[in-house]
Amino acid sequence: MLQGLQDLGAAYVSFMNPMTLLYGLGGAFVGIVMGILPGLSATLAIALLTTLTIKLETNDAILVLICSYVGALYGGSRTAILLNIPGTAANAASCADGYALAQQGQAGRAIGIATSGAFVSTLIGVVCLALFTPLLAEVALQFGAFEFFWLALFGVTMSGSIVGGDALKGWLMGLLGLLIAQVGQESLYAFNRFTFGWDELSGGISLIPALVGAFGLAEVLTTLSDPIERKIVELRDSVLPRFREVLQYRWTVLRSGVIGVLTGLLPGVGEDAGAWMSYAAAKAVSKEKEQFGKGSIDGLMAAETGDMSSIPGHIIPSLALGIPGSAPSAVLMAAMIIHGVQPGPMLMIQHPHFIYHVVAMTTLASIAILFFGLFGVRPLLHILKVRRGILMPIVFLLCTVGAFATASRMFDVYAMLAIGIGAYFLRRRGYEMAPLVLGLVLGPLLDKSLRRGLVLSDGSLGPFFTRPIAMVFAAVTIFTILLYVPAFKALVLRIRAGLGQLLRGMVRRGA
Amino acid sequence: MSNAGHEGAHEGRRPARADFHDAIGWTALGLVTVIGSIRMDRLTQQNINPLTIPGLLPGLLGAAMVLLGLVLGVRSWRRGAMHETVAAPDPLARQQRKRVIIATALCLGYAVVLIGHGLPFWIASSIYVTTSILVFRRLSADPAERTLGKRVIAQALVIGVCSSVVIWLTFEHLFLVRLP
Repeated sequence: MLQGLQDLGAAYVSFMNPMTLLYGLGGAFVGIVMGILPGLSATLAIALLTTLTIKLETNDAILVLICSYVGALYGGSRTAILLNIPGTAANAASCADGYALAQQGQAGRAIGIATSGAFVSTLIGVVCLALFTPLLAEVALQFGAFEFFWLALFGVTMSGSIVGGDALKGWLMGLLGLLIAQVGQESLYAFNRFTFGWDELSGGISLIPALVGAFGLAEVLTTLSDPIERKIVELRDSVLPRFREVLQYRWTVLRSGVIGVLTGLLPGVGEDAGAWMSYAAAKAVSKEKEQFGKGSIDGLMAAETGDMSSIPGHIIPSLALGIPGSAPSAVLMAAMIIHGVQPGPMLMIQHPHFIYHVVAMTTLASIAILFFGLFGVRPLLHILKVRRGILMPIVFLLCTVGAFATASRMFDVYAMLAIGIGAYFLRRRGYEMAPLVLGLVLGPLLDKSLRRGLVLSDGSLGPFFTRPIAMVFAAVTIFTILLYVPAFKALVLRIRAGLGQLLRGMVRRGA
Repeated sequence: MSNAGHEGAHEGRRPARADFHDAIGWTALGLVTVIGSIRMDRLTQQNINPLTIPGLLPGLLGAAMVLLGLVLGVRSWRRGAMHETVAAPDPLARQQRKRVIIATALCLGYAVVLIGHGLPFWIASSIYVTTSILVFRRLSADPAERTLGKRVIAQALVIGVCSSVVIWLTFEHLFLVRLP
C-alpha cells in the first residue's frame, strides 16, 4: 500500500518539468480543437497524435494522447453548450440543458459548470483508476483462455447492442471487425489467412490506418457531401469555473462520477453511455425533474461529469485486461503497444510503474482543461468559422500522414482509403463504427483464446461454460444477445415488472 | 461508444428495402467466408492439433454473419421491403452523391496518384489542398462563392502551400516522423 503511494508520488514528480507540461498542454490543445470541430472525434485526435508522437519517449507520448482524449471531450462540451452542436457524440447529453442555459443568457455559467464539473469528475475517475487498476490486474492474472474468450466476445456484443439504435446492425459491424482482424498471419502457426498471395497483407490490416479511415476519411466525405454549410453566428464565451456550484451539487457530481467510471469499465460502452446514464440517474432523484432539458444545472452537471469520469473508467480495463473500454481507449492501447508497453494483466509485472504514470498523466490532463477553461476557449471557437471546403482537405492530409507514419508504407494509406470509403457508405446505411473498432482490436485475442482454450480442454466446450468467471461472462454475453429476441425480452420485462411489484408490496407492508 | 458524425440527423430508420439489400450483402460475405475457411489449409503436414486449424474462428464468424444476415433479411421483409415503392432521388440526395464522388475522386487522386511516387510531399499536398478548396467553392450553393477570381485563387494557393509546408515541417523536422 505504502509502496503504491510512493510510486504514485514518484510518478507525479517525474512529470514536473517544463517540456512535459508543454507536451500535456499541447495535447490538450489539439484535443480541444478536434473536439470543437463537429464530426472529428477523440478517436481521430488520438490516432493522429499517435503517429506524431511516435519518436517521443513513451511517457511523453502517452501523456500527449491522454491529454488529447480529455481535451477532445471537453472541447465537444463547449460547442454543445454554446451552439447546440455536440462536438462528439458523448457531449449530446449536455446539449439540451447547456444550450437552454446559454439561450437564457447564462452561457458563462454553463461553461463554468462544465469546466469545474469536468475537472472534479476526471479527478474522481483518476482516484478510481489508481485504486482499481492494480486490483483488477490481480484478478485478471487468474483469467485464462476461456475467460478472455468470453470477455472479448462480451466486448463486441455489448458495443454492438448499445451503440446506435439497432443491435443487429451493431453486431454485424462487430463481426466485420472481427473478420478483418483475421486477415494476415495468424499467431499460432504463422499461416497467412485471406491474404490471396499478397505479401503486404501478411501483417494484417493495421489498427491506426483502419481507424483513421473509419473516423477520419469517412467523416471528411460525410462533411463534404453535405451541400448545406452551417453558418455559425453567435460566439458568446465564458468566465471562471464555478466551484461553488460543484459543492452545491456535490452529490450529483459524486454519483455521476461513479456511474461514469462504472460504465467506462464495461468494454464497448462509450462515454456517451456514461453521460446519459448519469443524466437519467440525476433526473430520477432530482426534486426539479421538469427543469431537465430546459436549463437544469443539475442535469448539465450530471451529463458533464458522467462523460468525463468515464475516460479514466475506459482506461482501467485497457490497462488491466488489455480490453479497450471505448474506441479512443482502443487507439490508446495501440499507441502503448507501439511504444513497447503491453497492456493487460502482465502490465503490473512487466511495467509496474506505468499505471502510476497513467494516473499522473490523467491528473495533468484535468489540470490542463482547467487551464484552458480559465483562459476561455473563445479564440479556439473561431475555428468553427473556417469553411469546411478548406478544413476537410487539411484533415484528409493529416489522415494520409497518420496512416503512413506508423509503418512508413503506402499500403497502409491504401488500406485507410478502402476502409474510409467503405465506412462512409456503411455509415450512410445506418451502421455504427464503434463495434467495428472493437472487433478489430479484440479479433486476435478472440482467435487465440478460442484455439488455446480448445487445446487445453482437449476439444471439450465444458470449461468455457463451467469455470466460474467464464460462466459469468458467458451468461452476461448470452443474455445480452437473447434480449434481442422479442419473446425473451418480453419475458424479461414481465419478470422485472413482477419483481418491481413484489418489492413495492414489501415496502408498503413494512412501512 | 463515442462516434463521430451527424449521420443520424438525416437517417432515421433506414427504408426496409435498403436493409434487405444489405442483408443479401452480409449473407453473401458470410457464405464466402465460410467457404474460404473450409477450404483453408488444415496444416495436416505440420501435425497440428486439429482443434487449432486456422480456419476455425473465421468459419464461425462467417456462419454467424450468414445467420445475422438472414435475420436482417427476414426483419426487413416483415417490415415490408417487398412492397415499398422506391422513391425517386430528391435533388438533395443527387447533390450529395455528386459531392461525395468529387470528394472521393480528389482524395484518391491525392493519395494514390500524387504521393508515394517521388513527388515531394509538400508539393503534392499543396496541389491537393488548393485544388480541393477551389473545387468546393465552385460547388457551393452561394453564387457569390462560386466565382473564382484571381484573389480567391491566390488565397487558396496560399492556404494550400502554407498548410502543407507547416504539416511537413512539423511531422518531419520537429517530430522526426517519415512522410510519404
